[in-house]
Amino acid sequence: MIRHYLKLIWNRKRSNLLIMVEIFLSFLVTFAVVTLAINGADNYRRPLGYTWQDVWNVQVDTRAGNLAERDAKTPPELLETARQVMAAIREFPEVVAVGGASCPPYGFSEWNSGADFGKWQLEYGLNLVTDGFGEALGLELTAGRFFNAGDDGAAWVPVVVNERLAREVFGGRNAVGNNVPQEKNRDGSIDPEMRIVGVVRDFRQDGEFATPKNYLFQRHRLDDDERRPADNLLVRLRPGTTAVFEERLVKRLQAVAPDWSFEVKSLVQMRETRFTMVLGPIIAAGVIAGFLLLMVGMGLTGVLWQTVTQRTREIGLRRAKGATARDIRTQIVGELVVMTTVAVAAGLAIAVQFPLLKLTGLISNNVYLLSLVVSAGCIYLLTMACAWYPSRLATTVSPAEALHYE
Amino acid sequence: MLQHYLKTAWKVFLRRKFFTLISLFGITFTLVVLMVATALLDHAFAPYPPEVNQDRTRTVLRAQMLGEHSTWGSGPGYKLLDRYARNLPGVERLSISSNPGAAQSFLGARKITLQLRRTDAEFWSILSFKFLEGGPFNAQDVAEARFVAVINEATRDRLFGGRSALNQVFEADGQRFRVVGVVPDVPVLRRIPFADVWVPLTTAKTDSYRNDLLGPFMGIALLQRGASSDEVNAEFMARLKKVELPDPKNYDKIIARFETTFENMATSLFALRGEEETHVERLWAAILIVGLLFMLLPTVNLVNLNVSRMMERASEIGVRKAFGASSRALVGQFVVENVAMALIGATVGFVLSFVALQGITASGLIPYAKLHLNLRIFLYGVAIAVFFGVFSGVYPAWRMSRLNPVQALKGASR
Repeated sequence: MIRHYLKLIWNRKRSNLLIMVEIFLSFLVTFAVVTLAINGADNYRRPLGYTWQDVWNVQVDTRAGNLAERDAKTPPELLETARQVMAAIREFPEVVAVGGASCPPYGFSEWNSGADFGKWQLEYGLNLVTDGFGEALGLELTAGRFFNAGDDGAAWVPVVVNERLAREVFGGRNAVGNNVPQEKNRDGSIDPEMRIVGVVRDFRQDGEFATPKNYLFQRHRLDDDERRPADNLLVRLRPGTTAVFEERLVKRLQAVAPDWSFEVKSLVQMRETRFTMVLGPIIAAGVIAGFLLLMVGMGLTGVLWQTVTQRTREIGLRRAKGATARDIRTQIVGELVVMTTVAVAAGLAIAVQFPLLKLTGLISNNVYLLSLVVSAGCIYLLTMACAWYPSRLATTVSPAEALHYE
Repeated sequence: MLQHYLKTAWKVFLRRKFFTLISLFGITFTLVVLMVATALLDHAFAPYPPEVNQDRTRTVLRAQMLGEHSTWGSGPGYKLLDRYARNLPGVERLSISSNPGAAQSFLGARKITLQLRRTDAEFWSILSFKFLEGGPFNAQDVAEARFVAVINEATRDRLFGGRSALNQVFEADGQRFRVVGVVPDVPVLRRIPFADVWVPLTTAKTDSYRNDLLGPFMGIALLQRGASSDEVNAEFMARLKKVELPDPKNYDKIIARFETTFENMATSLFALRGEEETHVERLWAAILIVGLLFMLLPTVNLVNLNVSRMMERASEIGVRKAFGASSRALVGQFVVENVAMALIGATVGFVLSFVALQGITASGLIPYAKLHLNLRIFLYGVAIAVFFGVFSGVYPAWRMSRLNPVQALKGASR
């Protein structure tokens, strides 16, 4: 049967090739958009690791980013002001907890680090945070503890990692109390060891749509003159605190540090901005792809319609030889199924190259496979819908009339 | 001849209206997408006020400090521009201003976030803002660090409810400014003039910015008529070789250059670490490739439709061939028909693009964007339509012209 269809298709190979090219291109377009959408949905359902409700981010500009002093120690008066700012925030009764960080969630800065051991590479997102950060963001600890004042005299750098990193480095073993492996510096020296004091469920800094990755928090001491004061202060408020509090907060902070600038944003607001930025392009691509497919659908219907009217004699002859209306429909649809299969197979052959060439680092294989299946399904649905009307039209051909035409 | 072709084309369009509709839908949709994209590019790059001298304006938006192992990229600092970019040969005026930064303003219980830019007085002479009220601040205001501000229309509405703002005082980031001028909104995509509030450079809370080689600043140069940016850059880069770097252990040179807005875009997308040349060709190539890739599927769709409709006209082609029409004449005729169809699609497309652009403007996705169609975009649209018509018409026309006249007259299908 299929062989017979192939022969019929081959007989009209030039116009059929064009139809297959069209289906092939449609498949690629569908696949690109479906992958984006499924990948987004897949990331969205994973745990975030923190809660964003009732948290504000105070972005601080300390005017200390001066390059000329990049390697210099932070002046003590700057550290003192930073301490006073933190203390001033904590004094408000509306505030539950406050923590400093180098990168806030839903922000646009990120800091990545890692080590290369030849056989394997360890990569992770890095964040310098103060002791209150865990409470301010409601981080969910699964082992050990978050940083506290007891870490002050430690000879090592206390760190907290996410479960993904712990699993990658230590497998099933307990990560707490172990060191995160580090590389030697170029000059042979070794940085102070990073000892894990706690493990959190996760910390997906870029929000719900971000690809899960390894994460590591280093402790930031407020009196550390090797580092600049934290640029971001995350403030957890009592539920029900309104935006009116913001003016009081900013006025107070400006009184404490008149030379600094403060910008307050709620995480709700930052999350919305992030969502718009991530979803905007996906929706735009989806709308354009939708119209493209509608156009292809209408075009394909038109082409099949024309083909059916041109094949009147062939169909008439088959009817005269006893083929039922159903047989005719099966033939028209069957030919299209075969062509779609060829086109989708070609599309799959291309799509499979991406994981094979490891171009899809950010997309898991499961998502990729699911997207392939879903987009192939969409394309079959589309072509079948296009064949519906023309194949009915073909059955209305009456044998006598069709043969009379000759 | 052309008139005759068009007449035939019109008859063919009317013969099977459903098919004509399908073709038109594809063409219109394709052109709407391309035209919205063109309008966005136009919105970002074409010379609109206040950038009326765009052909002579060059900006430094990025600077990089490079060492064997380290790179430090950022905007140029005040010191870099002030000490090394002044009095370059071929430059008529130079303005140094900060990038816009968020400043908070409280009005009753309401918080208003303003994009505040600190700038010098030259800024107002390079860019021609049309003042709705008052005027710019001058060099003396800047020298004496007076707390005066020029605000945009949207800020006037937000702070003063649309009433006259002249000499009114408002607070931003803990500083109090007096309004001296009001200008129309500048779209956020126009990076050079954009801000909500412009205040004198010297009102900064500390003057530590004066010592920075890298920092959140930009230099805007107005070239003399006839001066080339290559000469300006040659001198600028020669001067940068003599910069005393603050951290000679890690860094051994600093690079920056004056660029057009389009060059800036190309550099930020394609320039690798430490490269000193721009990549304008690559940006053009990228835009063209994306456009062509997008047009591929609509083209194949249209070609398919046209090829399948060929049989409708078999007898016409047969008659014309029998009377000696050359293949070339037939190809010409069908391409003209296809282009005519594309132009009809473009007309509908213009109307729909207008609606789509209004929608994007109203949605507020791009702050202060006022997307609209103008003659330039119209001409681009026509060019795209003609290109699309030819692109999708040549293959079906060639197929049609090769029909065997005898079979065609008989109405055979192969």
